[in-house]
Amino acid sequence: MTQISDLLPLLIPIIVLELILVITALIHIFRHKTYRFGNRVLWVVLVLCFQLIGPVVYFIFGRGDD
Amino acid sequence: MDILRAEHIRKNFGSQHVLTDLNFSVSKHSIFGLIGKNGSGKTTTMKMILGLIKPTSGSIYVCGEKVAYGDTPTNRHIGYLPDVPEFYGYMTAREYLKLCGEITGVRRSEIHKRTDELLCLVGLNGVNRKIHSYSRGMKQRLGIAQALLNEPELLICDEVTSALDPVGRKEILDLLSAAGKRATVIFSTHILSDVERICDQIGVLNNGQLELQGPLNEIKQDYRQEALQIETLTPDQAPVLAAHLKALPFISKAEVSGRTVNVQLNHYEENSLDIIRLLASESIPILKYERLEPTLENVFMDVIR
Amino acid sequence: MSGFTAFFKKEIVEYLRSYKALILLCVFIIFGMMSPLLAKMMPDILSHQAINGITLNIPKPTFYDSFGQFFKNLSQMGMAVLLLIFGGVLSQDLSKGTLIMLLAKGLSRHAVILAKFAAALILWTASYAFAVMIQWGYTLYLFDKLPVPHLFFSLFCLWLFGIFILTILLMSSTLVGGAYSGLFLTTAALGALIVCQFIPGTDRFSPLALASDNAGLMTGAANLHHAVTAVWITVILIVSALAVSLVVFKKKSI
Ligand SMILES: Nc1ncnc2c1ncn2[C@@H]1O[C@H](COP(=O)(O)OP(=O)(O)OP(=O)(O)O)[C@@H](O)[C@H]1O
Ligand SMILES: [Mg+2]
Repeated sequence: MTQISDLLPLLIPIIVLELILVITALIHIFRHKTYRFGNRVLWVVLVLCFQLIGPVVYFIFGRGDD
Repeated sequence: MDILRAEHIRKNFGSQHVLTDLNFSVSKHSIFGLIGKNGSGKTTTMKMILGLIKPTSGSIYVCGEKVAYGDTPTNRHIGYLPDVPEFYGYMTAREYLKLCGEITGVRRSEIHKRTDELLCLVGLNGVNRKIHSYSRGMKQRLGIAQALLNEPELLICDEVTSALDPVGRKEILDLLSAAGKRATVIFSTHILSDVERICDQIGVLNNGQLELQGPLNEIKQDYRQEALQIETLTPDQAPVLAAHLKALPFISKAEVSGRTVNVQLNHYEENSLDIIRLLASESIPILKYERLEPTLENVFMDVIR
Repeated sequence: MSGFTAFFKKEIVEYLRSYKALILLCVFIIFGMMSPLLAKMMPDILSHQAINGITLNIPKPTFYDSFGQFFKNLSQMGMAVLLLIFGGVLSQDLSKGTLIMLLAKGLSRHAVILAKFAAALILWTASYAFAVMIQWGYTLYLFDKLPVPHLFFSLFCLWLFGIFILTILLMSSTLVGGAYSGLFLTTAALGALIVCQFIPGTDRFSPLALASDNAGLMTGAANLHHAVTAVWITVILIVSALAVSLVVFKKKSI
């Protein structure tokens, strides 16, 4: 039986990538005042709660013009 | 030779007849001012010249070449500035001009030089921000730079001065005026003084056709209303004067407002002395005596009435 | 031609600066890493959930399960992300009016469609290739290699299905206006395909087979001939959708 701890080195890159997405999204949210819709609180909550989907949806629908 | 010719253009949007029978031609090296009410079809006409929308019927020729809807070869002669220019906000002005230059086939070695020149010309040199942070006037300036990029023979500007400050307006009008030496310029505007300042030809779009077209000074001559304004010394003298004037056979109208009498008459040249004589014989002292020059505004109001 | 190159470059820059390229690459690489791990950990996950000491007898996961997991993730979540990323492929440019000045500069309308297609195709292919390579490496590391018939064909099918989605998106955005209508129309079309699958006998012709039979092809559960038919039909649909986009866009008021 495999132990989850054995697989940890393989899990780390995934976590890193997810963090990259979340952090770029958060930086973008905090550096902009206006969004296509929604407000800052909504997007921060969405990005933090839904990994993967949160940042994707933010960048596609929430990101304002630039 | 005419650089632009439109023949029997009709355009319907559904059941709305925007243009019914538009005919006009613009000769080389003229500056053509297209004026008309909101919704009279100025933007629509320009877009049809560019092949962006399809005329319901009729044909347009640019430099003798027929404009094919949906196709773009005639556009290489044209520089176009839309009424509200929309850019890619994530680019800088320099990047945008480079993109445009590559599209029109400006030589690679020249794009850089040309971009610098144009940015200087429209006063955007030194602005290295992304376009999304530009003000409306800055976008308008970038739009002009973009339109001039391929050294067009025909420059079409839609409401070019609409977002500019008074200084910027003068700069841009001078720029168009200068461009008019090399290219033909067509521009639409609601600011009639701009038209008077730089245009030599005008066209008034009304009821789906060009109701008036020709050289600006000739049109003004034709529409010269024989009008006078006489200002008397005291308000009580004005009605007296008006009553005397009305008695003269060549005066069609004499209206009093305060101390001034607004007079409309026929054949000023032959009859002006009679008026002076009247003033002298009735001993009415006057402050001001002025023959009114026709303004484009009068002409415009008259046509669209 | 110069118009195509310039506009293609603009498209690539746009994908990079709008973070779309980043998202697509990250998400697909994550799928490539996650699928083998999920397959490997599945017995542990399931046994933790076993109630009251009833031990479930779960077979040891294999090479097949790793790819099964990969196809499941990519054909569902992966395609959803693809739809989102490329949902505004032409609609956004059209509804904002940013194309007007470029067309007025002499950019040909065909070049617009072809450059948009090429850029999207390259981005999708690159992300997919990364996902597959990482999936391959992780799987080799975690599982014993088994002979897998038609693995490459299966992978090719999913790639082709991605292209199918891209062309349908492009076509939809030439057909309807509005910033997101292309996305809605494509989603509706996919929905219709899913509904059609319930009509017996039609599923073998549907492009959807390219995204649903992948795992089956490896184990032999799916019919290879049917899959080949579906591939040809999809290729025809892709070419027709591109042709329709070119023709419709050429005749569009802008
Ligand atoms: N895509 C369209 N669909 C339907 N009607 C349209 C469309 N474009 C323009 N129109 C109509 O055509 C008429 C002319 O529009 P156009 O934009 O050419 O006017 P304009 O002279 O440029 O006005 P403005 O001075 O306000 O810029 C308007 O009544 C407008 O409602
Ligand atoms: Mg207009």
